[in-house]
Amino acid sequence: MSEAVISIRDLHKNFGGVEVLNGIFLDADEGEVVSILGASGSGKSTMLRCINMLETPSAGEVRVSGEAIALRRGRDGSFRPADRRQVERIRSRVAMVFQNFNLWSHRTVLENVIEAPVHVQGRKRAECVEEALDLLAKVGIAEKRDHYPAHLSGGQQQRAAIARALAMHPDVMLFDEPTSALDPELVGEVLRVMQGLAAEGRTMLVVTHEMGFARNVSDRVVFLHRGVIDTEGKPEDVFGAAGSERFRKFIAG
Amino acid sequence: MDFPFLADTFLRLCGGIPLTLLLALISCAIGAALALCLAAMRLSKIGPLAALAHAYVFVYRGTPLLVQIFLVYYGFGQFPLVRHSFLWPILREPFWCAIIALSMNTGAYASEIIRGGILSVPHGQIEAARACGMSRLTQFRRIVMPLAIRQALPAYGTEIILMVKATSLASIITLMEITGVAAEIISETYRVIEVFVIAGALYLAINFILTRIVQIIEHWLTPYERGRPALPLAASVDAGEIA
Repeated sequence: MSEAVISIRDLHKNFGGVEVLNGIFLDADEGEVVSILGASGSGKSTMLRCINMLETPSAGEVRVSGEAIALRRGRDGSFRPADRRQVERIRSRVAMVFQNFNLWSHRTVLENVIEAPVHVQGRKRAECVEEALDLLAKVGIAEKRDHYPAHLSGGQQQRAAIARALAMHPDVMLFDEPTSALDPELVGEVLRVMQGLAAEGRTMLVVTHEMGFARNVSDRVVFLHRGVIDTEGKPEDVFGAAGSERFRKFIAG
Repeated sequence: MDFPFLADTFLRLCGGIPLTLLLALISCAIGAALALCLAAMRLSKIGPLAALAHAYVFVYRGTPLLVQIFLVYYGFGQFPLVRHSFLWPILREPFWCAIIALSMNTGAYASEIIRGGILSVPHGQIEAARACGMSRLTQFRRIVMPLAIRQALPAYGTEIILMVKATSLASIITLMEITGVAAEIISETYRVIEVFVIAGALYLAINFILTRIVQIIEHWLTPYERGRPALPLAASVDAGEIA
């Protein structure tokens, strides 16, 4: 059996004594699309950010493509990455798409896309540009290549951010509420791009409030409640009769 | 109007321009390097370093530049240790004393400008840099510093202008820059108004050119600020600058 792309074991995280994650166990296999749902404060974004060490877990283990991220206790007793190089290397294989896009405002769309391939992976600029143009065409904003982020709509910015993530040839893509900052009429264009990626067989972990995406696109739905996984399974089961009482309440609003 | 006198004064004062510019240029360059170190110290998580930088900025911003110049010029020579050290050939020169005092002064002010610029870089953009695996150095070089410079440039332009004007204090320690030459002409002719009006006009002209240069650099560095969509506020919200 092949190793899971992401493997989370007994993940804990507390912020100043407040337990946000209380022992999460989660695997994501190659090509799997996992939607992570939960009320605000349930810890879903924190869990995602622990995978690429934007947040350092308080306890537990995270493996990416079989490689465990080494953590050690600092002098104050808190966990921290033991080897910054390792974390940087793993981050370059785990792309993240943010709620607020976080494109670099002083660089054009094209420059945003080639920045990390050139300056992190050390690839040739010409080759990266060629590939970036394909990616921009794929997310439907080829004509915006020389625009700055501030001149794009939210939906276009998020699609540019997805192209930037794809340019790293990631093993897995993390989406942190990718449509939550968008005007309602712009949500569709981003979801369509993500649906296309899912159809390509990419491994994706998606924290979202888009029930349609969770139900129709993802292979598996994970519902977080107070820092633990309350329910998980195939969308038709979780959304159907097999779902927990709590989940039914959650989707009923 | 005594035009021959004005023309003669103008030409003599122009002779002070190179020294004024040299003082400003060298001390701004040294000061910028110092400022970068101080800002890095203040922003570091190493307590004693941050405290040291904080104390430095407090002292240099809290005392008059003229006092600092006097202390460097007259102060060092009081110590036999300094007089006998290899640094004495430098420290006994008024030119270098002025450079030292001006650099250390602008270093304190500029470090606060740079620190403000660095702190203004949107957190999300740094996070995006971390998330794609950039090392700290690459993050700083490719994302943080370019954005911080753009943010700090207008304030830094003001600091450069202040420095050009501050060089006039070097006349007190015998340097013949524009103000030094002006004082000399006045002591010969007692014609205070004409001489200082021309001297002031020269500073004004220098600073006019400098502000233009800073504006051009700013314009060139921030193409994304131009031709914004009709609603700049909405655009910046979209860019995640406010959120």
